[in-house]
Amino acid sequence: MEKLKQYWLAEALEKALGDPLNPDSFMSFARVIEIDESEEFPHREINWLYDWKLQHHYIPTDCGGEFTSFEEFQAFVRVLSRRDQTIGIAFTTLFWSFITWMAGTEAQKQRLSHFIKNENGAMCLGYSEKAHGADLVGGELTATRVEGGYLLNGEKWPINRATISGVSYILAVTADPKDGPKCLTLFMVDKRELDEANYYNLPKILTHGIRASDMSGIGFKDCFVPDSMRLGAEGDGLEIALKGFQITRTLCAAFSHGAGDTALRTTLNFANERLVYGKKVVDLPQPRQTLVDAFLDLLICDCETIGSARGFHLIPQQFSVWASVVKYFVTTQIETMINNVYVVLGSRFYFRTEHDAGIFQKVLRDNSIISMFDGSTVVNLHALILQLRTLSKYRARRKPETMTEIQTRLEKIFSFDQPLPKFEPQKLELFGRGMDDCLQGLEIAISQIEDLKQGNQVDADVLEKLSYLSNMVLEELNAHDEQIANSKFEYGHDQSPELFEIARKYCVLHAAAACLHTWIYNRQSLGEFFSKGEWLVLALHRLLRPWKSLPYSISEFYGENIAQELLKLHKEDKLFSIVPFQLAQSHKNEEKTYATSGLQRQY
Amino acid sequence: MQLQDSSVNTNQLSPQKSIENWLVNQLSSQLSLDAKTIIVTEPLTRYGLDSIDAVTMVGDLEDWLDLELPSTLFWDHPTIEKSAHFLASNYDIKALTPGEQTQAPTKAPEVAVATNGNKGWGGLFGRR
Repeated sequence: MEKLKQYWLAEALEKALGDPLNPDSFMSFARVIEIDESEEFPHREINWLYDWKLQHHYIPTDCGGEFTSFEEFQAFVRVLSRRDQTIGIAFTTLFWSFITWMAGTEAQKQRLSHFIKNENGAMCLGYSEKAHGADLVGGELTATRVEGGYLLNGEKWPINRATISGVSYILAVTADPKDGPKCLTLFMVDKRELDEANYYNLPKILTHGIRASDMSGIGFKDCFVPDSMRLGAEGDGLEIALKGFQITRTLCAAFSHGAGDTALRTTLNFANERLVYGKKVVDLPQPRQTLVDAFLDLLICDCETIGSARGFHLIPQQFSVWASVVKYFVTTQIETMINNVYVVLGSRFYFRTEHDAGIFQKVLRDNSIISMFDGSTVVNLHALILQLRTLSKYRARRKPETMTEIQTRLEKIFSFDQPLPKFEPQKLELFGRGMDDCLQGLEIAISQIEDLKQGNQVDADVLEKLSYLSNMVLEELNAHDEQIANSKFEYGHDQSPELFEIARKYCVLHAAAACLHTWIYNRQSLGEFFSKGEWLVLALHRLLRPWKSLPYSISEFYGENIAQELLKLHKEDKLFSIVPFQLAQSHKNEEKTYATSGLQRQY
Repeated sequence: MQLQDSSVNTNQLSPQKSIENWLVNQLSSQLSLDAKTIIVTEPLTRYGLDSIDAVTMVGDLEDWLDLELPSTLFWDHPTIEKSAHFLASNYDIKALTPGEQTQAPTKAPEVAVATNGNKGWGGLFGRR
């Protein structure tokens, strides 16, 4: 683990922020609950992050910053989000700057880089409108050509950080939508250069979660913006917007991981101490299984999240598929995981002032927005539905040389100890031409497992189970392709509900493949627990069980080993992850409050 | 204004006409429209083909022509006539087969790895 320097920044940030259970820490649970209750934007905390120079890590090195990889990025976003998604999201609106890193001119890049680094600059994304939501082409905000620039008219709503930010990315109509999708143009509007009489902010919207966010809107009235604020050419707006979404949708997974970690950790803080019927909650079989399953969910999602973060650097042209899979799968899987564990925590899950400052109910509320924003579950599954046919076709046409190429790429993507090339956003594509290395390389993983049977590095029982389960994934994938081949495809938004289910299943199979690749390429570098592969057996079983009517348990013995690892990571304050980096040290063992001695020792 | 008859034998036609016919067929079958109502000089959006569908249709066209095309082809050339003209003038298009639909994916190839098909659940799900 120590060798993976892409996780050092996250560890350093952890250390600087300190133990969130300690009320004296800067972003303690007590403090972030206080912020949430106040519903006031966390300026002090955000400024602390600027002082720590975290903003430099949102700017690529060739634009003057210190961003090196999305793998490093997703790790430090977890560090923020495990404390507070409000702060994590509010600060990480900086990732919209990738639109400029992707499509801006050199001058625009330099300007934005300076603004972020030296002026604590922040930005918002003004795409959606009150009457049109995710239908971007249906927008009504217009930009009318005038000498030297455009006049903006219209409103964007609801927009996170619409008010408290200096730059707004505004998508505006510049031509008749009837003539096609080149009707939109994107502007990087620098509010400091506008005439204040020509724009206004819409009031803060009170929300269910992330209550301290600046959820508001922005409106323009004959507002002049110079040509220098236009990104790309007139008409390029939709293309830039959709490619930008491929980046941000993938990275949203990191918000979920932070929340999932805290939900599980605070539940363990309880289950590990609380005595019922003479036993700790965590030692009762049912709660123990629930916690193990939650841990497995995080490990499964890790393989998608880290794999895709790395994949961006190697196969950006495939992200019309991979971004949709990650945004759908990881966010909803972790949402469900959080819902599954609260029964272990009992009524404390609902308290705003008790148990770790009442953080669980906040996580529950905050996290429910992640699967919705930046393209909802339905939007992502729909994007996938439109590509399923092409994916199946490509898969059916693979040749031996295609497989060799896929294998070469998979090795680079999934070997965490291999360096990543620079991210090249100009290689993003609106559609991936049917390529999806992760799932289309499934047979490679299966044959690698067969090869392992020749040696003695991995337990034979584990290998046999892996072989069985991974072949089952393959059977399901083949059946999926056959189903797609036999279904009638249509364009449009009237897709049958059944197709959404088929797309969901594609994501599950994709996750299974990501788990296999992650294990195969990191077996010798991520520690003994990871290496043994028992977690992988249970992960595949967990993914397949609902689809294949598998027996409830595949190995209680493995399950217990997973439980031991979970408790160990909890005790050592390490992230619940396949890359369990060191979190800020807590002193929770000295603060037992549940099993108050006298009463519980009566038996 | 032209009406396209999808039953025309495209072997006799210029590349531009062949592509136009293929696009008319594609639109009519995948948007459930009568091919006779599709006018090649009208914007594709008029037929309910939205921005992402237009990108998807590039994929279908790539399949048919066996060429790599810009994914924003139908955004940049938003009518059947314009896009066909662009293709005919910028790409080497020959040997077009009659306006056929894209082929359905064939069954995935058999993979040469061992299966445990004969082992059943016993060996795997036994408790240790």
